Amino acid sequence: MLIAIARRILLSLLTLLMLATFIFVATEIMPGDALDVSLSADELSMIPPERLAQMKRDLGLDRPPHERFGAFIAGIVQLDFGRTLISKTPVWTIVGYPMRNSLILAGAVLVLAFPLALAIGVTAAVWRGRTVDNVVSTGAVIGYSIPEFVIGTLLVMAFAVAWPIFPATITALTRDPAATLLAASPLAVATVLIGSIAYLARLVRTGMVDALASDFVERLRLTGIPEWRIVFVHALPAAIIPSLTAAALYAAALVSGIVVVELVFAYPGLGQELVRGVTRREVHVVQAIALCSATIVVALNLLADLAILALDPRTRRA
Amino acid sequence: MSDITRRRLLQGSAGAALLTALDTELLGDAAAQEQPKRGGALVYAQLSANRRAGGPSNHKHPYFTVDANTKPIWSTPSWVNPDLGWELEVATKIEQADDKLNVWDMTLREGVMFHDMTEMTAADAVASFDYHRQNAPFARQIVKVEAAGRHSVRFTLDAGNSEFPYVLAEYNSPIMKAGPLETIGLDGIGTGPFRIVSSDPNRSMILERFEHYWRRGFPYLDRIEIHNREGQQESALNGLRAGQFDAVLNIDGRAATQFENNPNFAIEGAKGGYSFVIQLPKHPGSPFLDKRVRQAFAFAIDREAIVRVAYSGRFGWVGNDSHLMITDPSFVPRPGGRDVARARRLLAEAGHPNGINLGTLYWSPQLPEAGRYFQVLQQSVRDAGITLALEERPNDGYIQFRTGDNDLTRGNFHKFAMTAVGSRNPGISMFRMRGAFVESGHWRGPEHDRYLALYQRAMVTADAAARRTIYAEMQSILHEEVPAVLPAGGDTLLVRRRHMRDMPYHPQIWSIRFEQIWRA
Repeated sequence: MLIAIARRILLSLLTLLMLATFIFVATEIMPGDALDVSLSADELSMIPPERLAQMKRDLGLDRPPHERFGAFIAGIVQLDFGRTLISKTPVWTIVGYPMRNSLILAGAVLVLAFPLALAIGVTAAVWRGRTVDNVVSTGAVIGYSIPEFVIGTLLVMAFAVAWPIFPATITALTRDPAATLLAASPLAVATVLIGSIAYLARLVRTGMVDALASDFVERLRLTGIPEWRIVFVHALPAAIIPSLTAAALYAAALVSGIVVVELVFAYPGLGQELVRGVTRREVHVVQAIALCSATIVVALNLLADLAILALDPRTRRA
Repeated sequence: MSDITRRRLLQGSAGAALLTALDTELLGDAAAQEQPKRGGALVYAQLSANRRAGGPSNHKHPYFTVDANTKPIWSTPSWVNPDLGWELEVATKIEQADDKLNVWDMTLREGVMFHDMTEMTAADAVASFDYHRQNAPFARQIVKVEAAGRHSVRFTLDAGNSEFPYVLAEYNSPIMKAGPLETIGLDGIGTGPFRIVSSDPNRSMILERFEHYWRRGFPYLDRIEIHNREGQQESALNGLRAGQFDAVLNIDGRAATQFENNPNFAIEGAKGGYSFVIQLPKHPGSPFLDKRVRQAFAFAIDREAIVRVAYSGRFGWVGNDSHLMITDPSFVPRPGGRDVARARRLLAEAGHPNGINLGTLYWSPQLPEAGRYFQVLQQSVRDAGITLALEERPNDGYIQFRTGDNDLTRGNFHKFAMTAVGSRNPGISMFRMRGAFVESGHWRGPEHDRYLALYQRAMVTADAAARRTIYAEMQSILHEEVPAVLPAGGDTLLVRRRHMRDMPYHPQIWSIRFEQIWRA
């Protein structure tokens, strides 16, 4: 068991190192630099070339890539992503609150999505082939297939413009408390929630259908155990284990993948900061966000692996 | 100081008249005659936020606030009015101290208070411009700034500049409270009509009325909320439709047409907001080395069609191949108009009787209409036998891509490419066509030298009318030489809810006067 855990942790660290290298290369090959994009054509017209070269030197933009890579890896080890190029602000102070906000949004969605998806998935599986199952299955396919920006836009047109009961765009501040942020974001939460429930309910339904058709459930039925007990006490745990890794990966993808929704609603999360970082060539900000997102994915995947190790004895022998 | 009136300018511009008519029709006379009221708030979304991203340590500094429009918080010595003339602002006098126009004296208004209730003096102006001259491109010409009294300041420039007062009106020329170079401006304290209450870097800012603002009776509003929605026009417009915002600044022409028939909203436009320059490379082997090819290209472009298609016919204007905007009093229309036959003739003389392929014209989506703009251009020059390919490049790294090296011997040539240019005074605008700058395609030759000599003469000519004559001669050189083409430009546009009054837009988006806006 311990060896299996150690192996998975080591693999995760190796994955992170490879990701860090990939992120550095990806940011390195982006065209232009922070100075290019911080100056308008109007301002640029007034700066002589030699002065421009000096400004690049002052910002460290002329350092060779291997030097910057060394500094990047050393910074990761010390959890220090450096400072922004133009304003010299520590990257953590730029990224910290947006990351918290993205986690709040994703967390709120998951807290609502897991129980709802469980209830819907189980209901569809228990009444497999009936109307309720057909409605759930069709609804899940539709909900999962429609892009989030379309769902978001439709919700805005319906509940903010035509029937103005919710805000169309989020004007809450980056450092507002979680409750304030969530109160300002009902349509953003709903947008992500629809897709999440659709995906997770399909997972649960599939697992439950397999579990309810399995031999051990058939034997339990023959012993006369009530059906509700078979469903919730015996079949459900068996159905959840295979879905766990997929659900953990989905949760991780949600944290890093709600960029579009954040942009549609102007939610003060990592997505906005990432887009700003890319468009303004603040490579340290982009690197920090990409690496943090990657770390969350790897960590949640590791947690799912460990949970399966704990729940399913067969995996410990593998 | 400016001697033109808005009336005269509007008379000379059919497009501007259209805009004015549109607004008058929509607003009605009754609204125009209402008395301003005090109180209330303006909540607006800004689609063209500050290019310099602020962080937690510097978000109250005028260079890094969420909106590059710094005038609500800080005052500048002068102000550029919507007719592009300059006026005194927090200075009571700005005059040249010598005939060479490289020493300027400024007298500051007395009794102007900062938001912390200390009086603004020459020491604040000296400290501020010492900072600006080291950090703002437009102020780099200042080699020395010194106090000549409690409210008097003397500027020494590296060369004569008859239009120096325009530099003192830039958004990066506010007077901050004196302090060391490392920390000046970080406190966010200015002498403007509103003071900062809170600021969320890059996202939003809340301002409230400063009761001791030097323009007595202003501002009318109690509060302003600014929300950055850069690149998120639909999100901003949804917020406007839902009643969260009172106005959205810097919308494009197509968005404007969505609102013009809606009785709840009004569109405000300012003629001559910006333009596109197409640099014509003159490196070895370029077809643009031949002046006749450049002339043919200029004659072949259907500029009216660009205005019609890219700017809905109303929100744009025909350029004259200089960097001047149509509302500039020095603007001289390009003679001859579109002349396809002449373009064909010029090409034949240049050895291209069957037409010419100019290669690839690169463009980037700096403004939403850029794609349509260049498609119309591509189609229209085909009538004269000119073919060109279009290639969109990302905004990221675009400056570096199109610029190349100034030293043409290194082989990293500048491109046949566009870029957007803003509305400035002739002294700044016409300097952009110098040979040492890429937007002229590194133009060289005797006519270039004559152009620069005229420019230098204009810079040491104090009389505005005499200067205008020089600028007209410079434009005639450009019309003949065509170092670059600027076929058409767009207006700056905002959409507001009707209860926000006296909120006209400005061709320089940073010069809008927020203290005069009121809420009905």
